[in-house]
Amino acid sequence: MPIKWVLHWQPHAGTSVNSQILNEVSQCVESINGVKEGRWKATLTFYKPMLRDQSLAGEFPRDFLGISVPEQPNKYYFVIRAQRIVMEADSSIQNIMEKLQSYKMRVALNFEGFQYQLGDFQLRVGKVVPTHSENLRGIVMEVEYLPISSIEKSRQIMEEFLEIWKEALSKRSLPGQFMHMEPNFTEYGLPEPYTSQHTAVQYATVMAQLIASVQSGQAVRN
Amino acid sequence: MECIVQGIIETQHVEALEILLQGLCGVHRERLRIHEICLKNSPNLGNVASEIRLLCDLEQTEHMWTVKHVGGAMRGAGAEQISVLVRTMVESKVSKNVLRLFYALGYKLDHELLRVGFAFHFLRGAQITVTVSSINKMLKLHATDEAVPVTPGIQVVEVTAPATSENYTEVAAAMSSFCEYLAPLLHLSKPGVSTGVVATAAAAAASLMSDGGGTTL
Repeated sequence: MPIKWVLHWQPHAGTSVNSQILNEVSQCVESINGVKEGRWKATLTFYKPMLRDQSLAGEFPRDFLGISVPEQPNKYYFVIRAQRIVMEADSSIQNIMEKLQSYKMRVALNFEGFQYQLGDFQLRVGKVVPTHSENLRGIVMEVEYLPISSIEKSRQIMEEFLEIWKEALSKRSLPGQFMHMEPNFTEYGLPEPYTSQHTAVQYATVMAQLIASVQSGQAVRN
Repeated sequence: MECIVQGIIETQHVEALEILLQGLCGVHRERLRIHEICLKNSPNLGNVASEIRLLCDLEQTEHMWTVKHVGGAMRGAGAEQISVLVRTMVESKVSKNVLRLFYALGYKLDHELLRVGFAFHFLRGAQITVTVSSINKMLKLHATDEAVPVTPGIQVVEVTAPATSENYTEVAAAMSSFCEYLAPLLHLSKPGVSTGVVATAAAAAASLMSDGGGTTL
């Protein structure tokens, strides 16, 4: 499947994300002739262990995530970032986890917005909000290059596109920028070519970055 | 949800059973080599004991993994009147990292075994699967090449069919009807109900082997 980079909005120190930034980003995509196509949504769920003795919580993963992506409506992905584990499963795995009663859903987030066609690129701009809430927690952007599925072979063109995009966005003087933190896919046992498992790992990485930026923002305010 | 019955047959009669199944099902058998890993939650994890089965299909060039959760059986007067066991069951195909994932989540190995044999998948009032296999244990952890039969000379026969809460009575009836054809060779019953081998098996097998299944049992 085509290579994809998942970017997250990194606010400047002392600032936070807001819907005005999201609007400006969307308008910027359209200003460079991105054609709006429709809506998209991905989900990310934090699972926490059900423990009889909370003092033993350190023995169990704190970052056990479940992720769904729109390209694979019948699949679900589990990621344990600290141990570099990713697993693809049928959607029925969520029923199995429920029946096991060993982990339960703690927080669920939606990544949702509009997608745009721009030549050989497909762009998705999305807000990060808790399920059943409009409380904006972050902004993400997917950049997909349709002709290539090789991570290495696409690197140059993706970097060039990102330069163009950042330059277009810089004219709006927004308090932040989009960042791309590429995970080490090899550590997750993910070889070429690009797959939805790679996307799941990128979302887990983005989530960690969003949490870090929220926490650093809180530290600054304190 | 699934319907299931089980039985045992002596290995010497398996070939005759295969001939019978071939005639009844009208499909070719598929080879079966499944590594089954049974995990249980560690004592501190979860409020109830839970068990999960990881199945690795070793017959495929690239091993295919499935996670299977078997739940409780249907109970009550209605269940007792049905000759097959009806139980909840959820399966999910998964990628190869499944064992690492469940270990990381706090699950421990309870036991593992290797099923070697064959299976028939066919439609006969329900989507029925018949598996005939020897159950083998591994002498070393995950060493599927060094497995030995748990009960030499005996193989396990399972007949299963997926079902829903709306159609399980029809599925159970289809399975029961099919299982009657196997009665001369083996007795099939709900898991946990021990029945042993069938007295007529030797004669029935001889009949099948002598004319390749042309004789009606």
